[in-house]
Amino acid sequence: GDALLPAPQSISILSTNMKHFLTWSPVIIQGATVRYSVEFQGEYEREYANGSWIPISECSLTTATVCNITEDISATVAYKLRVRAELGATRSRWATMKGFFNRVTTSLTPPVLRVLADGYHLLVQLADMGPALQFRVLYWKKGQESRMQQKVVREVSSLVHLDTMEAGAEYCVKAQTHVEAINRSSSFSPTQCVRAQGDASMWL
Amino acid sequence: KIFHLGACRVSMSMAEIRAGFTAIKANIQSRDPIRTLSILSHPHSLHKVKVERCCITHHLFTFYVDKVFKHCKTEDSFVNRKISSIANSFLSVRRKLGQCHEQNNCVCGEESTEKFKQILANYEGLNVTTAAMKSLGELDILLDWMDKS
Repeated sequence: GDALLPAPQSISILSTNMKHFLTWSPVIIQGATVRYSVEFQGEYEREYANGSWIPISECSLTTATVCNITEDISATVAYKLRVRAELGATRSRWATMKGFFNRVTTSLTPPVLRVLADGYHLLVQLADMGPALQFRVLYWKKGQESRMQQKVVREVSSLVHLDTMEAGAEYCVKAQTHVEAINRSSSFSPTQCVRAQGDASMWL
Repeated sequence: KIFHLGACRVSMSMAEIRAGFTAIKANIQSRDPIRTLSILSHPHSLHKVKVERCCITHHLFTFYVDKVFKHCKTEDSFVNRKISSIANSFLSVRRKLGQCHEQNNCVCGEESTEKFKQILANYEGLNVTTAAMKSLGELDILLDWMDKS
């Protein structure tokens, strides 16, 4: 009873900031609800476990046409993914994604950050982008780019104190996302500058 | 995390591997009926190995990839997925260790060879499924030893 149901098409992976999603186009059968099941195969399974496939239970008999495979793509090796359609006892053949997916190819976006001057204190707030990501924050006194400083932020929970500023001086900040597991970084966020309270002439 | 094993430097997502193992440790260890024997720590603790760390690490990662993971299939889909995650991570690290070995940065001497022989003897002294499950259940012994490098 497998041949009657067409296999899903247009299988692809959307991977951003180490979150990986498998997507496919729906199989349309008038008046019926088609379900799908997804399996993955890592390099280990291909080379040491007779090419076995492992089902992703969260995406077994799902009606969705997307599956979050992040938890299972947890090594920096080449993975294969496949999906099939199911309608009652009828199943399509497995449709296997062309090529391989390695998480090293995930696209990394710059962090979203908010820079604040709290009196003389230079603070930054970073949006949480998931456990796999950390941030490299660069900051400098405007005009003194050569004395740029860096802070690596791993835990994004609250405001991060960067520096104590000179009165009335302007300080600038930019940041990039970094993933240790694949040793890659995003481009930098736009630079944001803030001015410390007080009168700059105090320092002359 | 970067591990300095003598002249060999290997980056490894230790946190991911530990998270995967921690998620299934109790399940795996519950399948090990023989609590009085150890694969990695008999007769001497792995922590006694101070020299030739790269070689013993390379031997052990090869041991787990070649001999252990494939005999640990369970009826539990969640456990199988975590084992796959660990196995693929080990494969990735084993490749890097192999490169060190090819570049002669992973010298094997008497101590590491003797220790690995003992581990193999411990493993082959049990039936394969029991030995594989016990070895997998002892993974944190290896990870702890590596973290102390």
